[in-house]
Amino acid sequence: MAYSSKVIDHYTNPRNVGSFAKDDPSVGTGVVGAPECGDVMKLQLKIDEGGVIEDARFKTFGCGSAIASSSYVTELVKGKHIDEALAIKNTVIVKELNLPPVKIHCSVLAEDAIKAAISDWKKHRGNAAEQSKKTAAEA
Amino acid sequence: MVRCPSCAAPSGTGLVCERCGRPLGEELDCFAALGLEPRLALDGAALESRYHELGRRIHPDRFATDDAAVRAASLRAMALLTRSYRTLRDPISRGLYWLELRGEKLAEDNKTVPPELAEMVFEIQEQLAELGASPAGNDRDRLRGEIEGRRAEVRSRFDRAHRELEGNFVRWDRNAGGQDELTAGLKQALSKIAYLRTLLRDMDRALAAAAEN
Repeated sequence: MAYSSKVIDHYTNPRNVGSFAKDDPSVGTGVVGAPECGDVMKLQLKIDEGGVIEDARFKTFGCGSAIASSSYVTELVKGKHIDEALAIKNTVIVKELNLPPVKIHCSVLAEDAIKAAISDWKKHRGNAAEQSKKTAAEA
Repeated sequence: MVRCPSCAAPSGTGLVCERCGRPLGEELDCFAALGLEPRLALDGAALESRYHELGRRIHPDRFATDDAAVRAASLRAMALLTRSYRTLRDPISRGLYWLELRGEKLAEDNKTVPPELAEMVFEIQEQLAELGASPAGNDRDRLRGEIEGRRAEVRSRFDRAHRELEGNFVRWDRNAGGQDELTAGLKQALSKIAYLRTLLRDMDRALAAAAEN
């Protein structure tokens, strides 16, 4: 199958590959999988107090389209507020990367990874808030 | 109930007319094509003998002197039979087909990878990347040995997941937990197998590439 030039660009020169420390409270980690093909994707977002995404890292082991989708998403979400990031639809990724119909699930995976990472961050923050409340109550 | 195009008898729901023995050529689901109740747990040997028995009854050679409509019906029935047998023979493709029959998609509400499994996938994939990047020498040989060891571990997990799937088929057929639990359980089991299968494939590729250089 022929990949679009944008997919090839992201695949051969992926942006923001890597990891943040998982236990950093400002980091949300989303791990999602595509059971149709067995690809697994990890997206991590570093989010400031105000809910703005400062930085992003990904690790994807899968086909070119899955890697390109996650690479593109890390660029797309940087600087966005989480509410904007949550509104990102996979169709944006499909359009940008020119994904063929059989690879649309890769873009859905990237969309789901954003949602999973943000919900993980919210969970962290919820725990942290509770913790500080508890500490305040104990003091 | 369809009418047999050859003898016009109302002729049941299978591949063959019960009265005149000619193929009906109707489109059926894979279970119905083999004359089976839709069940997840199937006996492989019984399935195979049923496939051969039906194949003999509808084979195009038997209808070579019949008119064109019968011959066409025989071809359609034979193609359907073969497709159905291949779909149902393998437990994984049978499970996937089961979901498809119910309008379910494997990936729907099913993107979460069990954390422990995801961790293993990432860890091993890192090792594979390292293997691909390392120059020939002792370090690479050691890494290769390590990956080969882990491959055996992943393989046995894959086999276990396979056996669990078939064990669950029996339980799900009894449908003790209801339709939703069945669908969710089936999706999870098939996904786990898919992740392990992809990992095995990637390990084999990386090991083969390392052996070549």
